[in-house]
Amino acid sequence: MRVVIAEDLALLREGLVALLRENDIEVVAQVEDGPGLLRAIAGHEPDLAIVDVRLPPTFKDEGLIAAIEARRRQPALGVLVLSQYVETAYASELVGEHTAGIGYLLKERVGDVRAFLDALRSVAAGGTVLDRQVVAELLAPREGADQTLPGLTAREREVLALMAEGRSNTAIAESLVVTPGAVEKHITSIFAKLDLGACDEDHRRVLAVLAYLRVAR
Amino acid sequence: MDHRARLPLELGLPRGARPRRWMPTLAAGLSIGEYARSLERRLAFLTAVLLAAIWALGGQGYFWPAWAWLGLGDLVLLDFTAGWAWRHPPGAIRRVACVWALVGAAAVILVFTWLLTWLLAGVHSFWPAWALLGLATAGSSYSLVALHDRVLVAHGRRALRARIDMLTHTRRQAVAAQAAELRRIERDLHDGAQARLVALTLQLGRAELRVSDQPEVRRLIKDAQHEARQAIEELRDLARGIVPPLLADRGLVAAVESLGARYGLGTSVDATMHRALAPAVENAAYFVIAEALTNTAKHAAAARSWIVISEERRALTVVVGDDGAGGADPAGSGLAGLRARVEALDGSLKVESPAGAGTVLEARLPCGW
Repeated sequence: MRVVIAEDLALLREGLVALLRENDIEVVAQVEDGPGLLRAIAGHEPDLAIVDVRLPPTFKDEGLIAAIEARRRQPALGVLVLSQYVETAYASELVGEHTAGIGYLLKERVGDVRAFLDALRSVAAGGTVLDRQVVAELLAPREGADQTLPGLTAREREVLALMAEGRSNTAIAESLVVTPGAVEKHITSIFAKLDLGACDEDHRRVLAVLAYLRVAR
Repeated sequence: MDHRARLPLELGLPRGARPRRWMPTLAAGLSIGEYARSLERRLAFLTAVLLAAIWALGGQGYFWPAWAWLGLGDLVLLDFTAGWAWRHPPGAIRRVACVWALVGAAAVILVFTWLLTWLLAGVHSFWPAWALLGLATAGSSYSLVALHDRVLVAHGRRALRARIDMLTHTRRQAVAAQAAELRRIERDLHDGAQARLVALTLQLGRAELRVSDQPEVRRLIKDAQHEARQAIEELRDLARGIVPPLLADRGLVAAVESLGARYGLGTSVDATMHRALAPAVENAAYFVIAEALTNTAKHAAAARSWIVISEERRALTVVVGDDGAGGADPAGSGLAGLRARVEALDGSLKVESPAGAGTVLEARLPCGW
């Protein structure tokens, strides 16, 4: 896997580069701003870009805008956006029309190295990974809100939240301390309630998460 | 009659009211007082001319009508100066004007009398000098005493105005500086302390991978990571409480739309903005809306709510309304806090919340920041 990193804080950038190299992931370019990211992507054609939301010169949302532009130019590129905070509005924009190969995580998730590497690989392979905080916000019951989505049970919401984080069925089962069979039953039920018909399983998982994202928009 | 002869007669008349006829009539639009004064001057003039004619017909010689002219002139002069003094606003200023009118009239009479004695009797020394000096001293002394308080008050007012201007200016600077400072602190928290803690958890994660065969060490590292994550979360909450990142990054409308979506009240956002706002105004508007939405969600049991943000010339108007239970207490701590926030920017806050008929909150914030 070939990766480009766009992060302006040297301490963090160097830490990430070291982490990826130790785990046999090739870092082909390190850049500090949006235009640098677009140049690196055109030059190196990486599989994945890891992008900080706030980049120079204004430290607002340059990174997000550059990541969306990078995706527009190279739809096959996986984009993992890291941020010190998460905003559902940013998640919606990032997901946009192209649902595959998108990740949006809080920066501190890099500390859980195994899960972070799983997320990287998942995004590079076309999966969708959303931070559990985004998902929690999306799934939070709203006072006075219309239930646009058919009411999921509390357990189904938990399962959906873990799916949104890019967890496998086995991982979900471990996390909820239930059998993988039970998880599968919940997932089938979620798909049915969200009216996601027969198509390939991975794709349906993404759609299920997106169904919630769209409601939030 | 020639031009020079007319002039002294009409000096005391209000401008634009000069009668064209020789003898004024009441129908010319004059008040009775003005009519009387005008008549008096014309009679004085006629008398003066008549006396001069008698002198001319009576074989001339010593020009005695000059003394009669002096008497008639005094009358007209006193009338004129009294009219001038009366035009001043009542009170100390009018009193001072009256004194100066008398002083002026006396001075003119003295000088004119001296002129006559010089011309007719050949008196060469300027005998009224000491009298004139006395008159001027008396007038000045009276003015000083009468206007002393007034001058002090005017000075006090000017000083007060200057002080208000200065306080307004420095308060604006303080509020603007505080807003800018809050944004800087928010950014510093994210990019400084929080970023270092993230780097720390990353290093700890790398270390943990290397000691996978030592469960004791692994557990210590996990604990350390947990502490670091807690610290990061606390910093994030702190930063969000100072300035929500979306507000800092994308401005008021984006932040408010996100707020509306979060409360999920079917909140509509209608914004008309032409330019970027100063951070102080943006922060205040945002917290007004956030507080209003929180109240709506907590107490109003509303089916829908709406937010209208509009910018006109020099003020930003924010309206937050709902169709809920109403009956909000304008003196409650939440609304009082908002009022203080808005008033710090010279803005105003209106709350209408009749029981059973929804709540509409309107904040007006001047944007000349």
